[in-house]
Amino acid sequence: MSKKKYDYPKSKWFKMKDHMDLQLQKENIKEIAGILKEMAKEKDWSDIPKARKEDYKAFFDRTKDEFNYLKNAGHAKRKDILFNGEERLGKLYRNGQMAFTRREWRGIKDTAYDFYEWARMWKMFLVTFGKDLIPSLNGVLIYRWMVSYFCAHSFMDKLTMGLHGTQLRMHHELIYDIFRYVAENLVILMKADKRNGNCTELNDKLVLFDEMTMGQIITGFPDAVGVPYQLLPVFLVSEMDQLACECYIDAVEEFGLPSDTCPVPTSECGAVVLDQLPHCGCCFISSSMPCDGSVMASEYTSYRYYDLPTYHLTFPVRYDDESSMQEAVQEVKGAIRFIEEKTGTKWSWDSYFTAMKRFNRETDYELVKWDVNQTPTPALIGPAYELYRKWNYEMDGGADPRIPDSAAKVEKMMLKAYENHEPAYTRGKTQYRAIVWSCPPHYFSNFSNWLANCWGVQVLVEMESLNFTKHLNTDDEEEALKDMARLYERMVMRRHTNGGYDHVLTELWRQCEIWKPDLVIMYNHIACKNMSTLNGSFDDQAREHGVRLCWVEHDLMDPRTVSRKDMRSKVNEFMRTVMHAEPTDPTLIDYNDDTTW
Amino acid sequence: MKDLKNMIFFENLLDDPDNELVKKAQDDGGVCLGYTCYYVPEVLLNVDKCFSTRLRAPRTGSIDIATYYMSNYTCEFCRSILERAIEGGYEFLDALCEPDACSAMNRMAEHFEILQLNKKPNFFVTHLETPYKVEDYTVDMFETQVQEHILNQLEEKYGVDISDAAIRKAVEEHNEVCQIMTELSDLRKLDNPPITGYEYAVICLVTYTCPKALILPYLRDTLAEVKKRKPDPKPWYRARVEVVGSEIDDPELIKMMEESGAFVVADRYCFGTFPGRQVIPLDDNKPALHQVIEYYMRTSECARWMAEDKIQQRHDTVDTLAKEFKADGIIYEQMKYCDFWGFERTMAGFVLKHDYGWPVLSIDRGYQVRGSGQLRTRFQAFVEALEIKKIKEAKKEGVTA
Repeated sequence: MSKKKYDYPKSKWFKMKDHMDLQLQKENIKEIAGILKEMAKEKDWSDIPKARKEDYKAFFDRTKDEFNYLKNAGHAKRKDILFNGEERLGKLYRNGQMAFTRREWRGIKDTAYDFYEWARMWKMFLVTFGKDLIPSLNGVLIYRWMVSYFCAHSFMDKLTMGLHGTQLRMHHELIYDIFRYVAENLVILMKADKRNGNCTELNDKLVLFDEMTMGQIITGFPDAVGVPYQLLPVFLVSEMDQLACECYIDAVEEFGLPSDTCPVPTSECGAVVLDQLPHCGCCFISSSMPCDGSVMASEYTSYRYYDLPTYHLTFPVRYDDESSMQEAVQEVKGAIRFIEEKTGTKWSWDSYFTAMKRFNRETDYELVKWDVNQTPTPALIGPAYELYRKWNYEMDGGADPRIPDSAAKVEKMMLKAYENHEPAYTRGKTQYRAIVWSCPPHYFSNFSNWLANCWGVQVLVEMESLNFTKHLNTDDEEEALKDMARLYERMVMRRHTNGGYDHVLTELWRQCEIWKPDLVIMYNHIACKNMSTLNGSFDDQAREHGVRLCWVEHDLMDPRTVSRKDMRSKVNEFMRTVMHAEPTDPTLIDYNDDTTW
Repeated sequence: MKDLKNMIFFENLLDDPDNELVKKAQDDGGVCLGYTCYYVPEVLLNVDKCFSTRLRAPRTGSIDIATYYMSNYTCEFCRSILERAIEGGYEFLDALCEPDACSAMNRMAEHFEILQLNKKPNFFVTHLETPYKVEDYTVDMFETQVQEHILNQLEEKYGVDISDAAIRKAVEEHNEVCQIMTELSDLRKLDNPPITGYEYAVICLVTYTCPKALILPYLRDTLAEVKKRKPDPKPWYRARVEVVGSEIDDPELIKMMEESGAFVVADRYCFGTFPGRQVIPLDDNKPALHQVIEYYMRTSECARWMAEDKIQQRHDTVDTLAKEFKADGIIYEQMKYCDFWGFERTMAGFVLKHDYGWPVLSIDRGYQVRGSGQLRTRFQAFVEALEIKKIKEAKKEGVTA
């Protein structure tokens, strides 16, 4: 239905003619064949029968265990499992495997629905990639990170683990939008890439945006396309596949970068070193957001792609100080002029205001979610909500006209669930209220899902959600520019980590008053200088405010530093010793997923 | 060479931030303003009765308490300053003027407020909004920041004269210091210089940490002495190096390099000469404040500046200084856990080596390094590499000739 309603992204972008260099493809395929040959040579083939034997044994053992469990469960329990789904979710993991042992049984109705969504997503992928199939598929032969997108369905299963009923439906709606956003941007990148589709017509209008730079500004250019440049090769893929960024990190550290820097800019620089970013676009909007590392990553990109005209979009850090507003406005104006000049298109206030009206509506939908989650019966929680907010609401920035429709659909379901007192998780997994503070680990993107399934901890909101919520001006041009600047200044992460400790330290105690959590999941991203420089004060003041902080170390994109298992151990210890809690699903207490996607 | 008359006095001044000249200036009614970064225009902290002192934490031992507050993966310089502040070592300050330039330094300054580390009734901490590029509008913005957050506060709290005339007077005094330092610095260009890199680093540091008016007589005296000083018949060093990077406020690091045979001819690091010890030119017909602000922004070599022209400026400055001071190689250094210089050192080290053809040694280091055998070995190896290169080049020239 939405396809008929809107031409978004404009079909003309996909219809533009590719100019694929066939000789280049031939050389690439030859190189790939060489690599495969080498791999085949190095492979110890005698291991394969042994590995298969182990697989069969594991399959047999698991089936036997499940059979015995059901046999001993009693009639009532079996009936419960049949209709309401399985309980022992930890059994879905197998040590050393990338995928789950099987898909989750959610009860007859929900499993059928889950399969429907599984098929719907495949269809969406096929239709979207079909818009320019050859470059999209060829991308897999050029970029190793493209392969990680094959685990999209596994990611979907991971995000919806333990969910049933309305919750499952809301999550699938959100996940569908997330992957549509991914697929469409992937096709554009592959089509434009000079080593792949090489669509010059598209490249002339393609503006690349730096990490985490939201899309609002490009909505004022109806005849240009904006793509978050490192998002798909680095940022988002690391949320799907925990191993995806290790090669980048290793490459740039071998180049000489210290290992204590934040893995986000580190991985981006590593992608530059490995030449894993597509060669495309007519210009690059680099940004100083959100932190010191991001500032410096631009230097790597601009050195590597020196022929790509770059505009540095830099906003004031002490953003509460309105005396720096004029500078921020000048920055926005400069970026607009730059895009006009490089793409040969004109800024349109009509187009911008239309998109921002949409964005304002999306903000309203977001605020309703907060209102509901602040009540004793939160209705929409979980990782899909967190990711949707980041990509489809903030990064998309009102560009996609389909988003308000799905947001409305989700809101309707959410309010119904709230009115019916439907818990966010079934099986007693809503015992504790929590909020999450600091930056979340990409490699454990379904951490909040695990918290609920294992310990009954509901994550009501996370720090990264609590950004700028004021409606953007949509009728006065000067005021609109100021609002845009204010929005960018208060973007995800930056809203809290920049501009003074009040925004993140004191703000936590204010949020605790509002959300009334039983505990705060305090991420300790060890390489984040902005956050870790306040560790002691968080502890000091938490004691004064009577707030229980559960510190969980992580290294954002590098699971080798702190593994998912290590993160879980910290929570397990805290829940037992501080909260005196019992796990809601003991099979999730200890399992190994070091190699799982 | 004969020891310099004032060297022990200078070294003693560096032993404590609250040194005898700082005490004397405060006893005479001076307002002591601490700062740590070039982003804060030093000369403006010396208007009227104010004087600046660039904060250091000499003789730092354990930094456990600061590590509790700021964690162990953050800049050791900032943690050391915080540790010293928690110990009560900066209670003599009348204000702390900081830019919000890097997260560690910003949080260090914020902890002065959070933990209330200075009990003086008029003490204040500034957090200047600092731009990432030099444009007319960013200069205007930064000027407003300095005016509102530093100058107006000084006038209000301490009755300081912040007029254009007062700023010009401060620039005049500052320029005299810079004139002397430039003369001293230029002596390092000589093949057999009458000053060592260590001595120069000590003198340079006292100009950052002591009241200008009180240190000037000693500087004049030292310059005269160095000019007359007779160097040893043969140069003592084995190679000439330029040092580039983040904070070096510990002359022992320079000493370690020189003990390895590397004469530090140019100091392009925070607390060094470039930038910071050059005369500030002022036009009589334009407001002094604006000129000072623009001067500091344009001359800053901080890795935080994002624009392409600034990146190019950084590379060119290093290259130009190395040529001017006849360096054989470049040592890029960074304070461990510094994000800006961590990225910059790696990339700029690569660029200077591959695009400019300089031999580069790239190191990261802790705040206190005098006991680091590993660093000493790396300096020694670099000096040997430079010597081998020179020998090879000489042979090659011989063959060609």
